[in-house]
Amino acid sequence: MFISLEETKKLIAEGRLLHIAGEEKLMEQLPRGNWIGGTTPYFITEDGGITSSDKLYVNEIDFAADFKAAIYDKDNIMNITKDAYQNGVTLLILPFASEVAVDFSKEAPNSEELLLTPIVGWISGFNLETGGTAKAYNGTMGAGYNNKAVALHIGLPDNKFASIGIINIFKYNENSDKIEFFEDSLSVEKCLVNGREVNFEEYITKNNIDTKLPLISDYNSVLVNISIKSVSKENHTVELYAPVFAGREYRFANPVEDYHDSFVKCLKDAGSSNPFFSCNCILNYLYGDFEGKPTKPYAGPVTFGEVAYQLLNQTLVYAEIIE
Amino acid sequence: MELDSKFEKLIKGEVQYKSANLGCNLLISRLQRKYDQDSSQEVLNSCIQELKTFFEKYKVISAKDLEEIAKL
Repeated sequence: MFISLEETKKLIAEGRLLHIAGEEKLMEQLPRGNWIGGTTPYFITEDGGITSSDKLYVNEIDFAADFKAAIYDKDNIMNITKDAYQNGVTLLILPFASEVAVDFSKEAPNSEELLLTPIVGWISGFNLETGGTAKAYNGTMGAGYNNKAVALHIGLPDNKFASIGIINIFKYNENSDKIEFFEDSLSVEKCLVNGREVNFEEYITKNNIDTKLPLISDYNSVLVNISIKSVSKENHTVELYAPVFAGREYRFANPVEDYHDSFVKCLKDAGSSNPFFSCNCILNYLYGDFEGKPTKPYAGPVTFGEVAYQLLNQTLVYAEIIE
Repeated sequence: MELDSKFEKLIKGEVQYKSANLGCNLLISRLQRKYDQDSSQEVLNSCIQELKTFFEKYKVISAKDLEEIAKL
C-alpha cells in the first residue's frame, strides 16, 4: 500500500510487522516499531510508476509465526543464513554502493547455504536528480545505516512456505557473441569474446553496443542480468552493477522494442501470483518510462538492485507465501 | 540410490531439468559450474549431497521436481 507518513506511523503504533520504503526525510521520521525499511523515492504502485517524497510504500507481513530483525556488515553478511528460521523467508535491504552490498553480490552466488534460505530484497537508493544517501533501517532499534544491511527474518507456520520468483523481460540470441570473464568482478578490463581475448570496453565501443541492455547468463533456464554501470574509454574499463563470474558464459540482451509492453506480456506469461513483496529495478523504471504505468499484481519500491537469493539487475523480484 | 544417479547426470550436464522453483534452478546451475571447475569424485559427492539436502529441506514443495528428475 502507498500511504502517507501519518498512516504509516499509525500502522507502526498498532504494532504491525512492516516493510517500508520511502525517501530519507520520511524514513527518518518513523518511530521505533516492528519494521525494517530502505530509501527510495521511486515506486511502482497499483496505479503505476511514481516519484514521490510524500508517501511511503508499505507491505504488511501478517503471516509471520515469529520474526527478528538483524543488521549485517561486510564481515558477517554471509551469516545471514545462520540467523534465518528453519522454515521462513528473509527480507534483506542493502544500501547502494556500500561495502556490505558489494560483498554480498560477490559471495552470495557461491554460498552453499544461501539457497536453503529464501532471501528476497533490494538495494536502497536515492533521488538521482537531487542526490542523497542510500540507507537501510532497522525500525526495531530506530536506526538507519548507509554502511550496513538490515534483514527481517520471518518464521513461517509449518503449513506455509515462501516462494521467490523473478520477471525478466530480456532474452538473448544463442548465435550472438559469447563473452567470458577471467575473474569474479564488478570492474572489467579483459574478457574472452568467442574464445578470443579482447578489451571489454573496446569491444563495446567498436560494436556500438547499447549499454542500456544487460549482459545475460543462463542459470539452468533462469536468465540473470548484469547491468552496465559505466564505460570508460579513458581507462578502458567497464564498471558493472553486479559482478560477472569466471566460468560463466554471458551474452548481451536483444533490444527491447517497448519495455512496458514486454513487461505486460511477461506478467501474463508468469500467470497468477499473490506477492506479499515485490520490487523492480530503477533501470527498468527509467529506460521503460514506467511513470503512470502499473505492473499488476506487482507493486513496490523501485530499487538500485534486486535480491532473489543473489543480487540481480534490471529484474522484477517478488515473494509469495504458499500453503 | 536411483535418484543419486539422476542427480549425478544432472550435475555432469548429461541430462537437463528445468524446475519451476527459482532456488532449484540456481542450485543446479551452481553445482554444474562447481563440478565443471573440479570434476573430482569428491566434488561430485558433495554436489549430490547438496542436492539431497535441498530436496530434503523443501520436500513438501519439491515432490514434483523429484518425480520429474526420477524420470530423466
